[in-house]
Amino acid sequence: MSRRTAVQIAVYGIVCLAILLVPTFYDDAFVLNKYSRYLVLGILAIALSLSWGYTGILNLGQATSFGLGSYCMAMGLKLRTVPVHTGSAGLPDFMVWNNVDKLPWFWEPFNSMTFAIFAGIAVPVIFAVLLGWFIFRGRVTGVYVAIITLAVLVVVNLLIIDQQRFTGGFNGITDLAQLEIFGLTFDAYGSSSYYLIAVSLTFSLFFALAITKSKAGLILQAIRDQENRVRYFGYDVATFKMFSFAVSAGIAGLAGMLYTIVMEFASPTFLGVPLSLAIVIWCAVGGRQSLLGAMLGAIVVTGMQGALSESETFLDTWTLIMGFLFVVVVLFLPKGLAGAAEMLLDRIWPSAGNGNGRANKSTSRNTLPRKTEPAE
Amino acid sequence: MSGDTSSHLVLTDVVVTFNGFQAVNGLHMTVGKGELRCLIGPNGAGKTTALDTICGQTKPASGKIMFKGKSLNKLEEHQISRAGIGRKFQVPSVFRELTVRENLQVAYCKHTGVLANAFRFGRGQEADGLEKLAELVGLQGQLNTSAGHLSHGQTQWLEIALLLAQDPELILMDEPTAGMTVQETRKTADLFNRLKGRHTLIVVEHDMSFVKEIGEVISVMHQGRMLAEGTAQQIERNQEVREAYLGSGGITGA
Repeated sequence: MSRRTAVQIAVYGIVCLAILLVPTFYDDAFVLNKYSRYLVLGILAIALSLSWGYTGILNLGQATSFGLGSYCMAMGLKLRTVPVHTGSAGLPDFMVWNNVDKLPWFWEPFNSMTFAIFAGIAVPVIFAVLLGWFIFRGRVTGVYVAIITLAVLVVVNLLIIDQQRFTGGFNGITDLAQLEIFGLTFDAYGSSSYYLIAVSLTFSLFFALAITKSKAGLILQAIRDQENRVRYFGYDVATFKMFSFAVSAGIAGLAGMLYTIVMEFASPTFLGVPLSLAIVIWCAVGGRQSLLGAMLGAIVVTGMQGALSESETFLDTWTLIMGFLFVVVVLFLPKGLAGAAEMLLDRIWPSAGNGNGRANKSTSRNTLPRKTEPAE
Repeated sequence: MSGDTSSHLVLTDVVVTFNGFQAVNGLHMTVGKGELRCLIGPNGAGKTTALDTICGQTKPASGKIMFKGKSLNKLEEHQISRAGIGRKFQVPSVFRELTVRENLQVAYCKHTGVLANAFRFGRGQEADGLEKLAELVGLQGQLNTSAGHLSHGQTQWLEIALLLAQDPELILMDEPTAGMTVQETRKTADLFNRLKGRHTLIVVEHDMSFVKEIGEVISVMHQGRMLAEGTAQQIERNQEVREAYLGSGGITGA
C-alpha cells in the first residue's frame, strides 16, 4: 500500500469516526434529524463522484436511482403502517382514495421488509444496467449522456406522478411505519436512525474507495481520460462504464432508502430535476475527483443552505449568496474544496506525496508549468 | 516476402471508403510470424488507415483481415486487442491524468474483465516487471509523474512502454520516432530489433534511415494499394516506387 493510500484511508476513517461521534455531543432530536438528512445527501454525492469524478459519466439523473430506492423503502414501510387507516382489505390509504380495491401485484412482495430493502438497491441497479446498456453499448458519450439521463429522470418522475393510484402521485407515499429490523426501531428523530445512516455512509465511502483503489478503478479513470485508448488494451469500455454506473445507482438507491427513513415519506420531488442538479453542484464544490470531497461538499452546501435559509438576516438573499459561492468555487477551485485542500497540504508538507493529486518531487523539479484543468 | 515463416496476418483485397473516397483500395498484405515489416508511402497513401482496419478502429467496406487464421472483420476493438494485437498511435496516446506507473498498470492487461479487476489491488508481482519496463524506456524517475507532464519524446517512449506491458503478439506502430532525437531514434531501432522474432511488428515510418536500419521487408503503399514489397535495395531500384515516392535520389534521398 502506498503512503498516499494510507494517509487517505486514515483521513477517511477520522472523518467517519467524527460523524459517528456527533450524537454523543448533541442529543437534540431535531438537530440529529437535520444532520441525518445532510449525511444521506452526502452518500448521494459519493455515488455521483464515482460515476462522474472517476469515470467521466456526467449523470444528471442521479436522482432517479435515489428516488427509486426511496419509493421501495416507502412501499415496504407503508404496508407496515398500523393500523392501516382505510379500507377493509388493509390497503394503503391513498389506494382506497383512488378506488383501488386490490393490492397491485408489484406491491405484494413489499409485504416482506427484506424484499423491500433488497429492492431498494436492486431496482436502481437493474434500471441503471438496462439504461447503461443502451447508452454505453451505443457509445454515447459526453454531453449526450447528461441529456439522456436527465430526460430519463423527467420521464420516471412524470410516470410516478401520473400513476397516482399506485404511487400516491404528487403527494407521494406518506404516513409510514418506522423501520424495524433485528428488533431495533429506527425513529427518524432518534439517534438510532442517525447511527444507521452514519454507518451506511461509512460503508458506502469505504466501498467506493475500495473500488477506486482497485485495478478496475484505475481502468475507470483511464476511461475518463481516454476512452478510445482503453479499448486497444482489450478492456470492454461499455461493461466497465455499466459497472460504474450501476454501482453508483446502488449507492444512490441506498441513500434514497435512508432518506425515506429520515423524512418519513417518499415524494416525487426526490426524483426532481432540482435535486438531481444540486448533486452535481455538491460534487463540483467538494471536488468530484475525491469521494470524501464530494461527500463533504454535499454536507457543507446543504448545511449552509439550511443555516442561511433559516436565519432571518439572509431570508431574502440566501439563494444569491449560495449562487455567488458556487461561481467563486467553479472559477477559482476547479478541483473543488478537496483539490484546494490537497494543494494546500502539498505546500505545507511536500513530502506527503499529496501534491496535485499525484505529482511528487520529480514533478516539482520538472520545468513544465503545472497545468490547471478547465472545469467541465 | 519471407516465405519460410507461417503467415501471421493476412489482408486480402481490403477496401476502406470514407464518404465515397477510397482511402484503401484493394490492399493485399501478408506478414509472417516474428517479422518486422515497414510500411512506407507518401502522405495519403492509406498507411494509417490500413493499421486502423487491422485494429478495428475502421471497418473495411470489403475484403478479409485474417489474424492467426481467424477473421477480424466482425470483432470489436477490445476483442481484436484480446486476440493479441496492440497499437501505437500516430499522435502519442496515453492517459494524461494518470501517473506513468498507473499508465503501465492499465496497459498490463492480462485480465480484462470487470470483476477480475474489481478485486485486484495494489502492486503485487507485476509491479517489478512494470518498473523494469519504465527503466527500459528511461522513465524510471518519472513513475509517479502524471503523464500529462511528460515531454513529447517521453510520451512517445511511454506509449511504447505501454505496448510492451500489454505484450501483444502483433504490434502496430504508427510513426514511433516522430519527435525523437537522433539518439532516441537509434535507441528505438535497437529496441525494435530486439522485439523482432518474439513479436510480429508492422511499423509505419517516414524516416528512411530508421527504416533501413530495422526493416527486412519493406512494403510501399501508394494511393491505397500495395505498390511494391521487398528489401531496401529492391525497393530502391524499383522504378514505380521512385516515381511515386522516393524521387530520383533513391531511398536515402527521401
